[in-house]
Amino acid sequence: MTFPILPIFVVDLLGSALMIFFAGACVRLSYRLHVQDRENVLWIYLLMVSHALAIFAVSRGVGHIAKQLLLLGGYRDVWDALRPYSGSLNTISFCVVGAVTLFFERIWKVYQQILRDRRALRDAHESLVNLNKRLEDLVSERTAELARSEQKFRRIFETSLDMIAVVASDGTVLDMNPAGRKMLGVDGQNPRWGAGDERLSFGMFFARREEWDELKERLQREGSVTDAEVELVGRDGREISALLSAASQCDVSEKTEIFHFVAKDISQRKAMQQQLLQADKLASIGQLAAGVAHEINNPLGIILGYTQLLIREEPEGTERLEDLKTIEKHTRTCKTIVEDLLSFARRSHTKKEPASLHDIIHEVLSVVRHNLELRRIEVETRFEPEVPALVVDKAKLSQVFLNLIMNAQQAIGKDGRISIRTVLSDDRKHVRVSVSDTGTGIDPKHLPLIFDPFFTTKSPGEGTGLGLSVSYGIVKDHGGEIFVESEPGKGSVFTVLLPVTAEPLELGGRND
Amino acid sequence: MDIRNLTVAFLALLGVIGIPCMAWATQVHAEPEGLYSHQLGHGFFVLSMGVLVYWLRGRRLIRDRGWRYLQYSALLFVLWNVDAIVVHYLENRDDLFMKFSQGTLHAFLQPYPGREWVTVLFYVCKMDHLLCVPAIIFLYLALRHMTRSPHRFSPQDDERP
Repeated sequence: MTFPILPIFVVDLLGSALMIFFAGACVRLSYRLHVQDRENVLWIYLLMVSHALAIFAVSRGVGHIAKQLLLLGGYRDVWDALRPYSGSLNTISFCVVGAVTLFFERIWKVYQQILRDRRALRDAHESLVNLNKRLEDLVSERTAELARSEQKFRRIFETSLDMIAVVASDGTVLDMNPAGRKMLGVDGQNPRWGAGDERLSFGMFFARREEWDELKERLQREGSVTDAEVELVGRDGREISALLSAASQCDVSEKTEIFHFVAKDISQRKAMQQQLLQADKLASIGQLAAGVAHEINNPLGIILGYTQLLIREEPEGTERLEDLKTIEKHTRTCKTIVEDLLSFARRSHTKKEPASLHDIIHEVLSVVRHNLELRRIEVETRFEPEVPALVVDKAKLSQVFLNLIMNAQQAIGKDGRISIRTVLSDDRKHVRVSVSDTGTGIDPKHLPLIFDPFFTTKSPGEGTGLGLSVSYGIVKDHGGEIFVESEPGKGSVFTVLLPVTAEPLELGGRND
Repeated sequence: MDIRNLTVAFLALLGVIGIPCMAWATQVHAEPEGLYSHQLGHGFFVLSMGVLVYWLRGRRLIRDRGWRYLQYSALLFVLWNVDAIVVHYLENRDDLFMKFSQGTLHAFLQPYPGREWVTVLFYVCKMDHLLCVPAIIFLYLALRHMTRSPHRFSPQDDERP
């Protein structure tokens, strides 16, 4: 039994050639796979296996072919020299294939872990991006809300007619709205609140420092203060009555306490209340005076009548006649006072007719001019030509202006100026007559009393204290108002406000 | 590191390892060391291919035709390695057959008495290309199918940890 070598030879040659061919084809395909997806570790594995197999196939195939051809050609010694290289290369190449395959399983697991981590990272990144986006949306939404809220409260702050102030616990003004700045006379200065040399203390605007200290103490103790009436003083020195509410707030982040103040200027309201009180008081006094005058007037008339009868029958030169004349004189004085009281109480007869206010004032001035010139008092008149004729009682208004001018003259004494000015209001419904002087002015404490009957600062015998109260009664009887503004040492301004009426009115009190 | 760098490094490694000395790991493998390392190499190859088959089946990749071809290729390589181990073993036995060379292409083997079946086994196994060529063809088919397949398996598709 023999076995020919030829089939083995043929299979060896053809097989080696096919191995080389397909190994090359495998390398090409695996490379194509790798190019299509470079991150896929499977294709990297197949590429490495293909390369190792290709080396193996080439080494083994070329070796086998070379062996057969060299042996056929009788070059055994050449083949013997090549044989170890070919064999070693074969061994190494399929060891590499084996190693790559074995290690691939581990690489696969590592790569899977990497992918899982990457996916987790990507998921985390996506969720972070989403969260971030949500956060951004939320932040922008909240910012818009905050801006709207800020705008709303800023508008309230800016447009409020009452003062709104934010004050630190040490009294430093941190912020104040325009109404507050205007009220306190710091408008337009644009102070940098709470900073630098321009730092303002809220306490400095209090007329009485103790009021501020007490307010602070109450705020710190109770947390809030409601409707406290305080007297403030603006930078221009103007006194302001204010109704003040405040609340304290603890700023946790800054570890400080902040006070929020809202103050309403009630100066006008207070003045009005004062005027109403004054009017009430004067009305009461008027009623009383009228009652008294009514009861005294008739007996006085009788006394005067009988006194005059007795004088008529008394011969000249007797002491008795002198006594009777003294009685008559003082009775007349009493009667004048009673008439004045009746004028004040508006119980005397009033006859109103159209008259020029300017003429009335001129007439009064012509009476007193000589007296004024003697005292070197200059009179300045500024009459607005558009002032119409008013329906007034000429005699009584003359008395009013005479009183005011005489008072001014007495306040000046010597060397000064009296200014009389008439102004028609913009709505043409009132005429304002102001009599100002450069006299001594009126003590503030006397201001609420000057229209009271019998109130006078003059020496006894110089005045009855009825001049201004009678003027007040006359002006009121004409539907007008009389005001006074005075600054001690600089002078006073009396202002008479009279209504412009179209028809002459026959109004009158009772003629007693 | 891209594939070009890998190739260069691999060739350099081969140069260093392959040149220095005669390992006697020739086709005849007359020297025991060379033969043993070669045989162990075949064994290592068998092991790695077995692991590959196990891995492919474990991930159920063989449901796809491409991966199934790769499994066939691995199985054929296993058979080829076993075949090669047998051939190398028998080739180095002097008591199996005599080799007569009447002109190289007309050489033949003459078994010693009682060694006929072993000589037949050697003769058949000697035509190992009948196993390794189909193995590499299956590898080629697997790769070709993978390049054409719309779905390419990647580690993130692997459900098993």
